[in-house]
Amino acid sequence: MQTKKVKPTNNRVTKTSSSRVIKKMLRYKYFYLMSLPVVLITFMFYYMPMYGIKFAFTKYGPFAPPKFIGLENFRTLFKTPQFLSAFKNTISLSLLNLCIGMVVTIVFALLLNEVKNKFAKSFVQTLLYLPHFLSWVVVASIFTIILSPQDGFINQILVQLGYKPIYFLVSEKWWTPIFLFIARWKDTGWGTIIYLAALSGISPELYEAASIDGANRIKQCFHVTLPGIMNTILVVFILDLAKVLNLFDSVFNLMNPLVYSVSDTIQTYTFRVMSQQADYGYTTAVGLFKSVVALVLVLAANQISKKIKGSSIL
Amino acid sequence: MNDKFSFKKGSRARALFRIFNVFFLLLTVVAILVPLLKVVSDSLDATGSYGLRLIPLHPTLAAYKAVITQTTLYTPFLISIYITVLGTVIGLFLTTLGAYILIQDDMPGRKLFASLLFFTMLFNGGLVPTYLNMKNLGLMNSLWAIILPLSLQVYNLILMKSFFEGIPKALMESAEIDGCTPMGIFVKIVLPLSKPALAAIGLFFAVSFWNEYFNFMLYISDPNKLNFQIKIREMIIESTTTQSTASSGIYSKTLQNAAIIVTILPFAVIYPFCQKYFVQGITLGAVKG
Repeated sequence: MQTKKVKPTNNRVTKTSSSRVIKKMLRYKYFYLMSLPVVLITFMFYYMPMYGIKFAFTKYGPFAPPKFIGLENFRTLFKTPQFLSAFKNTISLSLLNLCIGMVVTIVFALLLNEVKNKFAKSFVQTLLYLPHFLSWVVVASIFTIILSPQDGFINQILVQLGYKPIYFLVSEKWWTPIFLFIARWKDTGWGTIIYLAALSGISPELYEAASIDGANRIKQCFHVTLPGIMNTILVVFILDLAKVLNLFDSVFNLMNPLVYSVSDTIQTYTFRVMSQQADYGYTTAVGLFKSVVALVLVLAANQISKKIKGSSIL
Repeated sequence: MNDKFSFKKGSRARALFRIFNVFFLLLTVVAILVPLLKVVSDSLDATGSYGLRLIPLHPTLAAYKAVITQTTLYTPFLISIYITVLGTVIGLFLTTLGAYILIQDDMPGRKLFASLLFFTMLFNGGLVPTYLNMKNLGLMNSLWAIILPLSLQVYNLILMKSFFEGIPKALMESAEIDGCTPMGIFVKIVLPLSKPALAAIGLFFAVSFWNEYFNFMLYISDPNKLNFQIKIREMIIESTTTQSTASSGIYSKTLQNAAIIVTILPFAVIYPFCQKYFVQGITLGAVKG
């Protein structure tokens, strides 16, 4: 392998391992050059900000230089009711969204997989994938208009049926279910793509064998179909878990001050505190706390998948 | 295809399931379609009384005319297009380069390069350090602050890498023997063979740039550099008027609906043509996991 492109000048290099590595690296010199733009952007926009994590341990506002205060910010954090409420909401909203999302998406994929009419299937799929590409700004706009208490579509129906109009997006009782519904409306179809691909990979012979053994459709589903896509389910689960606490776009566009108690998440809270009070030290601490919790969650999930499957996903 | 194996007893349950399935999917189609149809219909409505209609009573394009002739929306629209085009090009450039490096199995340092990229998916500095970093780089109020960070998306890179792995190694090796440089192999062999992946990932980039609004809120304060999504937010989500008030003969709600459609339209036009590519693109990553 390393004999392929040896240049004459390199002939007298002894065959020690370090010189072999250098020779190999020389062979790849153009590749290193080509990787530079990617490395540069990664460092500038992903690694350089990590240096700023140190501000989590300082008192730092826009007009004063950072002053080291140790863990004081984290102590304040756990004494601030708004943060605790945001933390609770982040956990509950994201776990609800994750679990409901997984179940609904898998059920949709299974049902779509049963549709044998090619035209109907592709029509439904085309329509289902569409909302994923709309921005949260647009989706939230559409639903703000549709759920409007004055002349929104849903409330018009309620009024026609003799009910009172409901202020969906400003009601603490209604906000969470509405949020979860809109999240499903937007992303269920997109999620099914990956499962449909996995489902099409299950060998038909397995179904034949199962039905010869007397398994009915429901038994086939549990003993052939679900084990067949188990691997995909785990991968999707871990990838979703990696972004589980990233709850910003969806919430930010649908929330308003009246429903902070049920909708405020760590990220929306951080953004609000940062833009209103510019307390960089404290807000960095909030962000760091979230990042660490998220990292622990993913690594734990990865360990669990290692136990179950015998191989890690990361 | 396994129907013929099912027993007689099961066939009635099967028929019931079929009916249920059709009904269920119809319900889904309605749930997805009604909100979108309602927006289209209300954007064409001239009466200002929206009600339960999904087809406008007196359709008129007046609201669209108003949106299109509103000069305050020109700059945001152009900014949106500029960001999308430039961002997609730079994004594809970085993604293909990075993926090409990732498939060089023997390259010393490839593992380091891969973990460097992968780690950014698991952990990041957080909102405030990222903001302060952008400030230090002097990119406040610059559109580069939007384009550059978003043009490196590791998930897209992994998808692209999976696609590159499907290209026969022998092709690249024989080109190398013929004296082709790595850059030459990349441009002449890898890229031309990756058109489906370029289409899919290009679409993902274009959509994420077109839909971007948050980085604009963070980094851009110059009103002449804001994009269309920000304007939509101002018009609808942040708007305090709840009653439809008529200005110059057009109800504000009709105008809002028309603005939403204008935002969706560029994408809706290309969507049917790209569907097969993005389905291919997303399932590529699934195979590899």
